[in-house]
Amino acid sequence: MAAVKALNPKAEVARAQAALAVNISAARGLQDVLKSNLGPKGTMKMLVSGAGDIKLTKDGNVLLHEMQIQHPTASLIAKVATAQDDITGDGTTSNVLIIGELLKQADLYISEGLHPRIIAEGFEAAKDKALQVLEDVKVTREMGRETLISVARTSLRTKVHAELADLLTEAVVDAVLAIKKPNEPIDLFMVEIMEMKHKTESDTQLIRGLVLDHGARHPDMKKRVEDAYILTCNVSLEYEKTEVNSGFFYKSADEREKLVKAERKFIEERVQKIIALKNKVCADNNKAFVVINQKGEEKYTFIEKCGNPRSVTLLVKGPNKHTLTQIKDAVRDGLRAVKNAIEDGSVVAGAGAFEVAVADALVKHKPKVKGRAQLGVQAFADALLVIPKVLAQNSGYDPQETLVKLQTEFKESGQLIGVDLSTGTAQDAVWNWQHMKIIFPAFLPLQHGNR
Amino acid sequence: MSLCREVVTLQLGHYSNFVGTHWWNLQDASLCYDPDMPPGELQSDVLFREGLTRGGHVTYTPRLITLDLKGSLRTLKQEGSLYSTGQEPSTITWEGQIMTHKESPPAKNSFLQDLDKLDKGGLLVEPDFNTPSVPATHSPGGMVAMDTVNSNLERVHKFYKMEGSVMVWSDFLRLHLHPRTVSVINQYNHEGEAARLEAFSQGETLLQGSVLEDLEDRLHFFVEECDYLQGFQVLCDLADGFSGLGSKVTELLQDSYGGRGILTWGVAPVNHPDSSPIKELYHMMNFALGTVNLANHSSFFCPLTLRGSLGRRPSPSTVFPLVNYDSSLWYHSSSILALALDSMTVSYRLRYNSAPMWQLADALTVSGRKVVCAYGSVPFPIMQGTCLPDALSACGDVLPWKPLSACPELADGRCFGQSVTLKGLDRQRLVSPLAPGIQPSSTLHCARTGEEVLDTYIRSHYPSAPLVVQLVSTPSKLTPPFPQMFSSLLDPQGLIQRHPPTTAAGPAAVLAAPVLTSVQSSSAVGQMLAELQKACVSVEMRRSAPSFLCQGLEAGDLAENLEQLRVLAYHYRDDSGGTLRSSSEEEDDDDVD
Repeated sequence: MAAVKALNPKAEVARAQAALAVNISAARGLQDVLKSNLGPKGTMKMLVSGAGDIKLTKDGNVLLHEMQIQHPTASLIAKVATAQDDITGDGTTSNVLIIGELLKQADLYISEGLHPRIIAEGFEAAKDKALQVLEDVKVTREMGRETLISVARTSLRTKVHAELADLLTEAVVDAVLAIKKPNEPIDLFMVEIMEMKHKTESDTQLIRGLVLDHGARHPDMKKRVEDAYILTCNVSLEYEKTEVNSGFFYKSADEREKLVKAERKFIEERVQKIIALKNKVCADNNKAFVVINQKGEEKYTFIEKCGNPRSVTLLVKGPNKHTLTQIKDAVRDGLRAVKNAIEDGSVVAGAGAFEVAVADALVKHKPKVKGRAQLGVQAFADALLVIPKVLAQNSGYDPQETLVKLQTEFKESGQLIGVDLSTGTAQDAVWNWQHMKIIFPAFLPLQHGNR
Repeated sequence: MSLCREVVTLQLGHYSNFVGTHWWNLQDASLCYDPDMPPGELQSDVLFREGLTRGGHVTYTPRLITLDLKGSLRTLKQEGSLYSTGQEPSTITWEGQIMTHKESPPAKNSFLQDLDKLDKGGLLVEPDFNTPSVPATHSPGGMVAMDTVNSNLERVHKFYKMEGSVMVWSDFLRLHLHPRTVSVINQYNHEGEAARLEAFSQGETLLQGSVLEDLEDRLHFFVEECDYLQGFQVLCDLADGFSGLGSKVTELLQDSYGGRGILTWGVAPVNHPDSSPIKELYHMMNFALGTVNLANHSSFFCPLTLRGSLGRRPSPSTVFPLVNYDSSLWYHSSSILALALDSMTVSYRLRYNSAPMWQLADALTVSGRKVVCAYGSVPFPIMQGTCLPDALSACGDVLPWKPLSACPELADGRCFGQSVTLKGLDRQRLVSPLAPGIQPSSTLHCARTGEEVLDTYIRSHYPSAPLVVQLVSTPSKLTPPFPQMFSSLLDPQGLIQRHPPTTAAGPAAVLAAPVLTSVQSSSAVGQMLAELQKACVSVEMRRSAPSFLCQGLEAGDLAENLEQLRVLAYHYRDDSGGTLRSSSEEEDDDDVD
């Protein structure tokens, strides 16, 4: 402690119990902020900065980034959420909720005198078991378009309203399927997300090809070209510096002029070569020739209907910046959900069903754990149930009543049971993912476990 | 025909944005919207771009990308207000509940309030009864004179005492920015205890994922509309993690736009609020790592600071005889750097006979000597009614400029090359008037052009160094919100008054100032680098500041970087053995290394 003081005289030093309390309150503070976001019935947050900047989001990770978190523990939790987002693109809110709840449950036992280390031991044991359960309940099957659409829809419906989500869902799934190559990891960089401001329209479409956010070089150029040779290049066609060195200490204006001429000749030769190529390929046909080089505001060029598009573009239209940003964020998350589902090859039931199943398995597993670490396992099991509880709460139902219904139903039927958000009652989750299409890639809870 | 070679400016970090804001304010103040006026010596299109809003309004905004951290904007909207459509925020993407969290708007200082008034077409009312108020300019023909922000700010000789109210750079920003200009990095906080961008490696690892994508999008936007992009001027904070971010940004520029000029200015304030020994150590390490890497990826790298040295121990900041600035105020120190920068960048912004960036860089960075240093006489001391030769003779044996790169001159007359610029002195004042029958008092008084005067003068101090001099008569206009921190000896044109003003009248505002600057490559740079390297090597980082190393930077990497710094310093070793070399020998030397 003295060392800390020496390093930073202004540091506040909190000891044992107090330090723990500070950390737990930070975690629960974050939990409170993000709680209302969870699920398709959660609350959208509109953040308006002092200067008037608007951010519209339901994404836990975006929200965490917008907040100015000054508490070290809270910022650590925010980093966990970022890591989660980097890999899976989703599940950040659940992540923060579970962390907050783990600490809350642990606090109950610690206040009765249990050592934090024993709790941690219990958490470890519970984590291992939870990963086993995940292996058991996950469903491995062919990732057809229908399944992928369910996966994408589950992700997107929590971010934008149903109608828009359905529109995005198809675009997202088709985009990933278009760029997917057998036996290779999916490279999402091949899906370009392009935004376009439009006064009234709010629309997203998949272009099987490229959209460039600049127009033609000259107003007299053709507005539409079909059946064409396209030369894509990334070379400068402007007069610029050549390898001729240093004319800074030049002696006369003449000398200078000579340098400039030499520079220009170089570029002119380049242009002549391109014209020669055009004459060669277009010599005995009527095909058009288009040069696309790395080069007015708010103008777009579409290259569509490519025979074999290796790269596709999702064009997002919206009336203002914050709407565009929100849709783009949602699309990104959807893309990653689909990618994960394809690469992982398996899915699990959502709507809290997985958490209920794991909690139940952990309670059964508890007697096999030695000593007081059992309490840690129990705390872990209870903490997971925060997900179905908050889902019910956000839909306006009594969380405890819903949870009891779920657990009873689960025990009786032995099948995965999730929350039905439109009735607040339990529903058969297997039925659920076949018909209600609420499924996650199996990858997702796995990340929670690995945390 | 003069062709416009565009420049894209990048400002990375909060102090960079302080300097940048002053710099853009100076640019904005010298814009002229009157079509009848002859075109100025400097071409503003090099720095500015013309745009069109969706409402059909023409805009003229800096070709600029600024990076700063979360919480650093205060009253500035990230998107700016030029392109806003004025619509109510709509939430068409969600049908469920929406919770709005609204931060209360921070109070605007009197300057920003006045700017808002001007934007709405209002006039500034003069509440001060002492100064005779200028009547609103309705010209006799019933024609209403075009009021611009420029003319208004010039007319209203109002002192905005902003020293106390400037917290962030947007508090004194007088022009509108393009919506693609301001980028906020959300991973780190501008102030507070947690999540600070303090170490070089933190900044280095930042340029990936969404931050990288965002920067590339912005770069493409500004670069692709350029016809003859000559390069980038990068202002980068050296003291904090931005030095690492800047290294990666310049690397990106070098990879993507090879062949263009990348002129990097590493800026640092004299001091930081709530500093501590450990933070000073961080700063020094960031200086060292930033210098090596920024120099590596740039056409040239020039530190720009009023600090006395880049080391850990505080040393007195640079003093200018005619300026009373408060070195602890970022608002003050950054204004001096911006004023100097306005002069040092002249060569590639000229309307006629401009020398593009890469020529300036190539000329100064021979044989791997990528680090250069700057000196400035801000303002250049010249008496009312005298001419340039008089002023230079009055300086005696001492050059009038002071170090702007924490790199004191060695006064040994050796230099590998320098570019000297005098900005803001009337054509008539450049040479001594010839009086028949009177012997000119010095050789300087014999010279017939300003260039010759300056050239002769500099060569008397640096006899054999390659030298280029540039003179621009248009002064930098110091209209509000440029701080009024000048000596009371100066008149409104920035000249020294023959008769000091009587106390009753009070000092008049200084509205312009002549500035003399020099960017040079000399062995003084080598000495500075070597000292920095020695100071860094002597610290055992694993013991004193382990957290500096835990951000992905290994102790081995650090050692390797410091070794590179040593090699860099070695390039400046002057092995001519005391004899002065002629410039032809200098050229032969270019091939060595």
